Amino acid sequence: MNGQVAILGCSAVTPLGFTPEENFRAVLEGRSELRLHKGEFGVREPFVASLFNRDAVRKEAYKEGIPGYGFFDTIVLLAASKAIREAGIDPASEKVQFVLSTIKGDGTPLSSSAAALREHFHCKHPVTVVSNACISGLSALVSARRMLLCREDIDYIVVVGAEVQSRFIVTGFQSLKALSEEPCKPFDAGRTGLNLGEASAAVVLGREGAGWQIVRGVVRNDANHISGPSRTGEGSYNALRALLPAPEDLAFISVHGTATAYNDEMESIALERAGLSEVPVSALKGIFGHTMGAAGILESIVSMKAAEYGIILPTAGYSTPGTSRPVNLSASPRRFEAPGSVSFIKLLSGFGGVNGAVLFRWG
Amino acid sequence: MKDGEIVMQMSEEKGTALLGAAYRHLKVSYPKFFKMDAISKAGLIASEILLADERERFVPREDRAVVLFSRHGCEADDIHYRETITDGNYFPSPALFVYTLPNVVTGEIAIRNLYRGETSAYVLEKFDAGQIVSIVSESFEDPVTDSVLCGWVDCADDNNVEALVFQVENGDGEEFTADVINGILTNYK
Amino acid sequence: MDVTTKELKEAIIAALNLEGMTPEDIDDNAPLFGDQGLGLDSIDVLELIVLMEKKYGVKVINPIEGKHIFGSVATMAEYISKHSA
Repeated sequence: MNGQVAILGCSAVTPLGFTPEENFRAVLEGRSELRLHKGEFGVREPFVASLFNRDAVRKEAYKEGIPGYGFFDTIVLLAASKAIREAGIDPASEKVQFVLSTIKGDGTPLSSSAAALREHFHCKHPVTVVSNACISGLSALVSARRMLLCREDIDYIVVVGAEVQSRFIVTGFQSLKALSEEPCKPFDAGRTGLNLGEASAAVVLGREGAGWQIVRGVVRNDANHISGPSRTGEGSYNALRALLPAPEDLAFISVHGTATAYNDEMESIALERAGLSEVPVSALKGIFGHTMGAAGILESIVSMKAAEYGIILPTAGYSTPGTSRPVNLSASPRRFEAPGSVSFIKLLSGFGGVNGAVLFRWG
Repeated sequence: MKDGEIVMQMSEEKGTALLGAAYRHLKVSYPKFFKMDAISKAGLIASEILLADERERFVPREDRAVVLFSRHGCEADDIHYRETITDGNYFPSPALFVYTLPNVVTGEIAIRNLYRGETSAYVLEKFDAGQIVSIVSESFEDPVTDSVLCGWVDCADDNNVEALVFQVENGDGEEFTADVINGILTNYK
Repeated sequence: MDVTTKELKEAIIAALNLEGMTPEDIDDNAPLFGDQGLGLDSIDVLELIVLMEKKYGVKVINPIEGKHIFGSVATMAEYISKHSA
């Protein structure tokens, strides 16, 4: 087993589509739902975000047999249900554990969303909620991988990441002057901040399986500032370093790329310090916005799809290099040859000084 | 209390007022404390008591993780932030917003002590010593982690603060089990 | 509207929870940021922007202006006096 766990099923639910394939296509074709919203959620200043068409989601949920929940719980259950079906496991089995990744849930206690998940699927174990700021999704994967490696009583773990937007979150990011008034431009010289997004995504992990594997993953803190990224990229560098030496089949790194001045600059420094400046990089937030608790799982799943096709995804919004260190980005899709096996790294960082890096491999 | 010994006792103050009194009693010099929300204050004071006798503090290290659990996350601060975005009083406060993340308390402990290892925050449906012990034990799977500052730090609101933290290390000594945690709680009550 | 530096210092102390500080502890011309002055950080600046709008009705829109405005209590008071209704 050598420390790997297998991905047996996955799902991605975003304003751009309800399957991993549709979401991958959207990134490839540069389609986005990042739009200007005026007065949404009672927020006074207009903002750009990728928001769900709630009716369309409810219709899809109804088809999936998930009626009558609050909107946040609906997208959680929808993503979980799709991934569980693909994996072909019985969620009510003693051998199945659930992990939920979110930052704000639906505004009510996070533990109540855990309860909704447990009750809907009749889970036999308490649901663990990982709330580790913007890296929550990767933290949940790191944590779930360890659980599978260490606990003999659990055979499968359903990891769901989800976030919906609200007056609370949007005004908060506005107060931090972190939002861009136009679709965001990760790593671009003209970047002016991030956009928020809504999404849910899920994976089912098991000990053994033929396709995608989670090889390793870690979380590291900058020990620097609760909201500002480290100027030296300390935590991201240390998280990447834990995955070195880079595997020979490393095709690309899917970075955080929020399009704030400090984050992207920090990542360029961390990549350079880790000796990874030449590895192709892609950032997805110019398509989905920052989907917070969903980001780690959604961006990993879309990257898996891309790697399966031998594609390094384009970075929407990027045109002119805008960091002090070189980053190997492109506004258009690129191809790579993957004879036999392929791997990629997913990197994120967040408030509280957290940074996460996870290595995925196929074959 | 630390290791069964009473560190300080107060009957009047509770919640964040108690934490402020503890800050002064322990003579912690870290003015940023007063900017923190209830759960960060609770985590910081609990970790200060736990680490008071440790030699070689404040030296950057990657081998100690901070893994905390709660039921209410940062709800106490959510309430304060929400008061700044009502229709009648709409001045969203960045200083309150940055604490509306359940993991910021782990970040504050890492910043204070220069811990560059893992920091993780979990929200549980209810206090569950078994869940805490398994997740903490599993965190040693990270080859860099040799020591975990961990435990339960929960604030239902500014007046209700609970903190029970442990320093768990690789090596010999008393095993970290659910029985140990539950035993402490039984004795204390 | 003229604002005195003493009044402004009291408002800053309250808004930023500068525990144990009095207006007398803050020099009018001392830098608000960095090691020599009050040692405020990036979140504190954002909170001061909210304070200026909430208490004095002064909006700071251009962040580049911010650098000068938040140089010291004196520069802040001057900006408020010039821009408030």
